[in-house]
Amino acid sequence: MEIIMTVLASILFATGIYNLLQKQLLRIVIGTVLVSHGAHLFLLTMSQLKRGAPPLVVDGVTQYTDPLPQALILTAIVISFGVTSFLLVLAYRTYTLNKTDNMEELRGSEHE
Amino acid sequence: MIYAVFAPLLFAVLIPFLSRWKDRVHTGWLILPVPLAIFIYFLQFVGPNFEPQSMSVDWIPSLNISLSFYLDGLSLLFSLLISGIGMLVVLYSIYYLNHKEQLGHFYTYLYIFMSAMLGVVLSDNVYVLYTFWEMTSISSFLLIGYWHYRERSRYGALKSMLITVFGGFSLLGGLILLNIVTGTTSIREMVAQSEVILDSPYFPLILVFLLLGAFTKSAQFPFHIWLPDAMEAPTPVSAYLHSATMVKAGIYLIARFSPIFAGEPNFFVVVSLFGIVTLAWASYMAVRQTDLKGILAYSTISQLGMIMAMLGFGTDVALFAAVFHILNHATFKGSLFMIAGIVDHETGTRDIRKLGGLFTLMPISGTLAIFGTFSMAGVPLPFLNGFYSKEMFFEATLLNQAAGPFGQFLVAAIPVLAVVGSIFTFVYSMYLFFGTFRGKYREEELPQKPHEAPKMMLLPPFLLVLGVILIGLIPEVFNQSLITHAADAVFGEEINKSIYFWHGLVPAFYMSLAVVVLGVALYLTKHKWEGVYSILPGKLSFNRIYDWLVEKIESTSNRITTSYMTGSLRLYMVLLLTAIFVITSGVLVQTGGINLEVTDVAPITVTEVIVALFIAFAAIATIFTHNRIAVILTVGVVGYGLSILFVLYRAPDLALTQLIVETVTVALFMLCFYHLPNLSKTKAPLFQKGINVAISVGFGLLMMVVGISAYNSRAFDPISDFFIENSYPLGGGDNMVNVILVDFRGIDTLFEVAVLFGAALAVYAMIKLRRNKGAK
Amino acid sequence: MNNLIVLPIILPLVASVIVAFFPKKLNIARKFSQITSVLLTAVAAYLAWYVFTNETVVMQSGGWDAPFGISIVGDSLSMLLVLTSSIVGTAAIFYAPSALEEQQEKFYFYTFYFLLISGVSGAFMTGDLFNLFVFFEVLLMASYGLIVLGNGKIQLRESFKYVLFNLFSSMLFVTSVAFIYAITGTVNLAHLAERVGEIEEQGILTTVAIVLFFVFAVKAAIFPLYYWLPNSYVVPNPVVSALFGALLTKVGIYSILRVFTLIFVHDTGVTHQIFIWLAMLTMLFGVIGALSTNNVKLIITYNIIPAIGFMLMGVGLFTETAIAGSVYYLMHDMVIKGALFFFIGALIVAAGTKDLTKMTGVIQKYPLLGWLFFIASLVLAGVPPFSGFIGKLLLLQGGLDQEEFLLVIVALVSSLLILFSMMRIFIRGFWGELMEGISDNRKRVRNLTIPGLVLLSISVYLGIAAESVYPHIEAIANMLLDRTEYISTVLKE
Repeated sequence: MEIIMTVLASILFATGIYNLLQKQLLRIVIGTVLVSHGAHLFLLTMSQLKRGAPPLVVDGVTQYTDPLPQALILTAIVISFGVTSFLLVLAYRTYTLNKTDNMEELRGSEHE
Repeated sequence: MIYAVFAPLLFAVLIPFLSRWKDRVHTGWLILPVPLAIFIYFLQFVGPNFEPQSMSVDWIPSLNISLSFYLDGLSLLFSLLISGIGMLVVLYSIYYLNHKEQLGHFYTYLYIFMSAMLGVVLSDNVYVLYTFWEMTSISSFLLIGYWHYRERSRYGALKSMLITVFGGFSLLGGLILLNIVTGTTSIREMVAQSEVILDSPYFPLILVFLLLGAFTKSAQFPFHIWLPDAMEAPTPVSAYLHSATMVKAGIYLIARFSPIFAGEPNFFVVVSLFGIVTLAWASYMAVRQTDLKGILAYSTISQLGMIMAMLGFGTDVALFAAVFHILNHATFKGSLFMIAGIVDHETGTRDIRKLGGLFTLMPISGTLAIFGTFSMAGVPLPFLNGFYSKEMFFEATLLNQAAGPFGQFLVAAIPVLAVVGSIFTFVYSMYLFFGTFRGKYREEELPQKPHEAPKMMLLPPFLLVLGVILIGLIPEVFNQSLITHAADAVFGEEINKSIYFWHGLVPAFYMSLAVVVLGVALYLTKHKWEGVYSILPGKLSFNRIYDWLVEKIESTSNRITTSYMTGSLRLYMVLLLTAIFVITSGVLVQTGGINLEVTDVAPITVTEVIVALFIAFAAIATIFTHNRIAVILTVGVVGYGLSILFVLYRAPDLALTQLIVETVTVALFMLCFYHLPNLSKTKAPLFQKGINVAISVGFGLLMMVVGISAYNSRAFDPISDFFIENSYPLGGGDNMVNVILVDFRGIDTLFEVAVLFGAALAVYAMIKLRRNKGAK
Repeated sequence: MNNLIVLPIILPLVASVIVAFFPKKLNIARKFSQITSVLLTAVAAYLAWYVFTNETVVMQSGGWDAPFGISIVGDSLSMLLVLTSSIVGTAAIFYAPSALEEQQEKFYFYTFYFLLISGVSGAFMTGDLFNLFVFFEVLLMASYGLIVLGNGKIQLRESFKYVLFNLFSSMLFVTSVAFIYAITGTVNLAHLAERVGEIEEQGILTTVAIVLFFVFAVKAAIFPLYYWLPNSYVVPNPVVSALFGALLTKVGIYSILRVFTLIFVHDTGVTHQIFIWLAMLTMLFGVIGALSTNNVKLIITYNIIPAIGFMLMGVGLFTETAIAGSVYYLMHDMVIKGALFFFIGALIVAAGTKDLTKMTGVIQKYPLLGWLFFIASLVLAGVPPFSGFIGKLLLLQGGLDQEEFLLVIVALVSSLLILFSMMRIFIRGFWGELMEGISDNRKRVRNLTIPGLVLLSISVYLGIAAESVYPHIEAIANMLLDRTEYISTVLKE
């Protein structure tokens, strides 16, 4: 199962990167979201899947799933969320100020 | 000794304050005692019984850098030149620069230089020497650019800096290598280990590095081009730095290391060759100049070439003559520069085509110029020091040892080039004197009506000419008390040479005779053969190469940089991803890290596969969806799918968080992109699409391979057992993930909140600031 | 003492929250920030002094011993950099009021500033790989806030690219943490170092290490991953550029230095050889960039890149001398880059333009600025006896010792070209006839010059009085090469 999940995470990476390479702001932001999903999935998968009960202490259970990666992912998800929301607003503001959502038109050689 | 080195620097710091009263007292007077005191200090060592002195003060002992100074004959000669001519130059400048100029700057630079130059010739530590070496380059740069509102000054300053600092960095490389090979930073100790250096595999590299440093500084062919442009500096500076002292730093360096290298075949070939070519080429070029200082600049280059060549010969007579000529050149060339400055000052021009017949108007200057030019030409008169060293030079050119066919060719060519160079030297010396002081006086051509310079302004060149005459009349006094000690230091053992006027009918005599006869003939027929300069050098000039190079560096840099720094995000991403992909997969393959066996995996269940497929399809679908709402929803599907996976993989907290985050994100997406234009179908060329696909698939595959291999390379049990065992007893919670977050790894969480805090404020500022300020 | 070591991280965090409460009361915010900054520097100085004279201090957060909790490690390298960054930061705080518009100050400049310092200190001091990621995000988030401050059209455009690159590398960071966890089962740096040493199957480990290197390399702006840097550093206010130039890329190079001396030293033939090649290319392409433009600020910005090359060179050479050179260069470069950006900010105000072709003779009206800039240029090019020289000397010694002649020659050539790029500004901008339209606001230019003067004095001191600093740097290099001390202190073995 881990192999399949690795493949899935890689697919998320690949599609994310493909979107990152597009011109439109929206696609690029979506790309970052997909890549971060991929990264989180990697973190989960790499620590082995389903090796025990959910990490909630229950009497009599000795085998638990590795809780550390879950904690790390939780942190990562929240951080990604913060950054993504910022990026969204930034993309929106960039669009309204520059009047285009095409990154190729946002190359810019002049500086302020 | 250390006070002597640092006194000028100390005063350089004080000068800006002293120069406040420059309207009442010329700053020069206030600081004149400094070089005088130093000169007197060094003068006390002069005498037949001179013994080397040394002293040392710690600076950075842990890097073996100490301020150790060593005064031997060579250093003494240079120190006397630096302080003595320095003193004369300051005196001269008092009349040359009036108090409306920025005197504070001028003297600050000059005194920085004086310290630096004394430091170069007295340092025994290679890194201290290098430090002072760069200081001379920088002060020279500032002095050349003194009149920085002139275009030519700026050009000359940059040129000198680029070339000499290039040499300086190269020198640094050489010195570090010497340090590594010998394990010491002291020059004396290096000299003592000359065998080690010569046998070292680095020897060729050391030689190249050091010679580049010396050749650039001492303006050897083809690096000589900065010196003529350095003539934009005020004339006192040209007399001081660019003729008497700084340009001899390269000579000094070679002389200092001469005991190591002398006699080494490669050293002989390279140094002699460059020296003699410089001599011939520069004296040939000097005849062509029309600017007085231009003639003197090329003349300096050629004389430096001559000294350099002699250092290359490495025989006792050659080294002795080299040292002797260092002294002689400083005297006659210094006086000539000062006379040129006086002429410039009085007539308002330095263009020799406009000058002429000044002797009657400026008889004293004219007389001084006779001594200077004739000494430079090597006219055989007993009261001209230039003749003595030139004669010895000719004697030194007649070498008999040689290694290899090229060495033999060089041995044959050297006397010929020496004579040729000396003939042209004779020609321009005559031209310099007769062109300026004799001939027709053309008043209408001159910007100012000339008259004799003030007496005090004539004093410094007079004193130098006095030196010319005294050395000519009583050479043995100078020899015994000064020159022989310096020559010993260069040769490494004692040289017993005497200086005679008449050597008898030896080959050197015939060479001198040929120079005089042919020189006179060529000078008289100069107008007939001048056309030769349009053939050689014609358009072939190293200045052009330099200009081309500088221009090319800038334009090529611009072309290279603008070719990839286009501002295109996609291009950047493509380059970045390609680089990561290529190098990482290269390492992966090279280290044999791929491990795709399937071991120790969880069983595959249908539900999970279905969810996985669902996510994969949704992810791929984002590429092909062109409706913005649909795309956002598709991304949402990926996110929600992920939270289902989290549930399946026993991570309830994750699932919950993911669910909330995903919902908010989708809402935000909607909010922000509602106003954006709809997604258009990608109209990118097929080629570009191909690259995109290749990169994303390639990168995905790479991550997959690395991921699987990493998974299969599990080498240790994770540290989580600790958390599993202790979260309840020690952490007091039964949700292990929560316990980890708030307790075991509390800092992570604290700063995760900080990130959100920052994001919230940034978003707020971004939205709010617009209203207050408006779009730019 | 153990718990105090966390102060350089916590204090700025608290300050950043406090100052967020009264953003509009500028006078209070300024005073508060200045006092806090100075205080912070004093604390950092005290802690650094303590660590230098005693021993490495480790705080195991929450009382959980490594490798289970997060260790905050104040070793001499970390504390040196924390101290240096708080000095540069304090200078920036005093520079800010004259450089920023009031609007920008009001919109949380000081909050983001303290957040940035907190993140930077945290990144220098954390002993945990994942926690390093978190601190990276903290400082990046702060930098995002700073870079968009002002909301200019072009500013937002370049910010978008900047954020995107950093976001991508952060995701790669998480992924490589995943890979590393898979192999070693731990995220504590010291524990990682210990475990990596015991692994036999090292091929995949090297690969993962390289992926992690690229994560840091994007942040450090190493060839060929620096595309995001030049334009995004040019558009914000000079005080922001100074903070970025002095601190952000340095965190990246610090991470490389730390991780590739402590953990991944199992196959230096591959990893560190790659560094040497990349260092060479970084130096060359960086300086080529610096020569390619007439925008004075962009020239300085491009000059960040070759400096990074120099530091990477030391890591690649991996000898005591070279590592000491890297550390010295790192410290020196933080100070001098701050100073240079300050001077350039002052120059732009003085000349009223960024375009080198439009300014001449500025030194005639602003001599102090001109001369300080000149000295700073020499410092940057590594001319003795200033601080740049010491680092460069050590690096070149290391390079020649390892017979990396090409590398040394490239380093020397790029030093020359760095000097050229700086002299272009000095000769064309400062020298020459006094330009028309030069600013008359002497007071503002002076206020913009003084913080740079302070930094420059430090830099000159680091060169001339190298003896008072170098032995510590040598000790740091020794410590980095002998990993056992770090490992045993953190893991309490």
